[in-house]
Amino acid sequence: MIRNITSRWLVAILAAFLVVATACGGSTTPGTSKGTLTVGGFNFPESSILANIYGQALAHDGYTINYKLLLGPRPIIAAAIKAGSIDMYPGYAASELEYYNNSAGEATSDPAATTAALNTHLQPLGLVALTPAAAVDANAFAVPQATATKYSLTKLSDITPAIASQLVFGAGPECPTYKFCLPGLASVYGLHFKAVKTLDTDGPLTRAAFKNGSIQIGLVFTTDADLKGLGLVVLQDDKHMTAADNVVPVVRQAAASTEVTTVLNSIDGKLTTADLISMVDQVANQHLDAAAVATTWLQQHNYSS
Amino acid sequence: MGFLGSVWRWFSDPAHWSGADGIPQRLVEHVQLSAESVAIGALIALPIGIVLGHYGRFGNLAINISNVGRALPSFGILVIAFQVFGLGDFPIVFSLTALAIPPMLTNSYVALREVDPDVKDAARGMGYRELTQVLRVELPLAVPLVMAGVRTSAVQVVATATLAALISGGGFGRYIIDGLAQQDFPKLFAGALLVALLAMATELSLAGLERVLVPRGIRLLRAPVMARATTFKAA
Repeated sequence: MIRNITSRWLVAILAAFLVVATACGGSTTPGTSKGTLTVGGFNFPESSILANIYGQALAHDGYTINYKLLLGPRPIIAAAIKAGSIDMYPGYAASELEYYNNSAGEATSDPAATTAALNTHLQPLGLVALTPAAAVDANAFAVPQATATKYSLTKLSDITPAIASQLVFGAGPECPTYKFCLPGLASVYGLHFKAVKTLDTDGPLTRAAFKNGSIQIGLVFTTDADLKGLGLVVLQDDKHMTAADNVVPVVRQAAASTEVTTVLNSIDGKLTTADLISMVDQVANQHLDAAAVATTWLQQHNYSS
Repeated sequence: MGFLGSVWRWFSDPAHWSGADGIPQRLVEHVQLSAESVAIGALIALPIGIVLGHYGRFGNLAINISNVGRALPSFGILVIAFQVFGLGDFPIVFSLTALAIPPMLTNSYVALREVDPDVKDAARGMGYRELTQVLRVELPLAVPLVMAGVRTSAVQVVATATLAALISGGGFGRYIIDGLAQQDFPKLFAGALLVALLAMATELSLAGLERVLVPRGIRLLRAPVMARATTFKAA
């Protein structure tokens, strides 16, 4: 054992310090936190912003918030919330509906009706979708300007099967099984592409693929602000394949107390598509921090009050 | 039976054995990426290791650089290579080659150092010139250890080539990444299983290659006594 008496004292002091430190470390003062909630987000910047807006509003209201951002595409997020490792995530009404109803085709362009239908499917899973916001971010499909000019494309129905068989399509790995992606393009527009390249969901791989010409059509989001700068043209969804993808919080029923619901619904009451576009631009193009951008928005709108 | 049954069903589905996402196509892509990386790595690492080992110089430097190289995370190199070179096979082969070099460099250096100095002396005494000495005396003696390095490299590269799928590459990693994104667990498991099988096949086939390359005399020297008691004619 330790022979030297000075060393023994040092060890004793160190041990005492560690005990005190761990005791003080993790606890919050009892009574000031209304509970702990975990907010999840999809793997693209807009979701991190929305998750931060919801989370910071609830934190401002007295909850302790943990974040699990950039988790992945919808199948992973759904698995996480069903397992309880996250308590809520910022969803998109029509896409959530078509995921939880196994692409049954119930989504419409009416956000209220879509959310109601969504709730009938969420109910048995112990989840609930709150009030949708006016803000919409739907899937869109873009082509480089050169391709649009070459085949005279302004809308998706301009793509004939002959043209489609010469285009390489790029999207994330969940696209082949996601209603508002390849299956939708095939069933609504009859499109079968020359090849499908698996990239990411509207991220850096997709942009790199457009840049080096390995894809001629790809999935983007309607709130992307950098498309023009990249020389990409969004083709109009004239047959309305994508539906009401309004932002809506999907919450575990156990976590959806009256207070939480009130806070989140009041946020949704103020969120507009223009807000989304400018916030995504700040994070994706000006490289600002998603949390900081969220704080700015909340301060401008007086948090949830 | 449940989960393994689904995996079996995934493998017995003929749709998974044809087309751009079929097992044969992914196998070709995976083998191609791995083989390119190991070959380029060998072209860089083996000559350097052999020369340094023969002359006995800069051994510590070579081994230390090798160790640092081994510590570099392939995933990190891959992402940086993607930022620099963009999409395509080049960043993938680049990062896999970086992974392939250290074991081959270290092993070939040590292999050449381990050659009995008496043998080298005898060769010099018999009038062999430098290059001939290396090629005809030292290398055949060093083959087992050099091949061990190549095998280690190849198996590591085959297992790590799954990373290619992260930057839109092909290979069996595609099943793992897509399976995770689609929450299709039989597919994910099948991908992992295929990679493991390919890694084992690589190990076995390179072991076979080593048996062919090791000179018969050395092989007999290292064999157990019973096997040695065969009649063989001295060449």
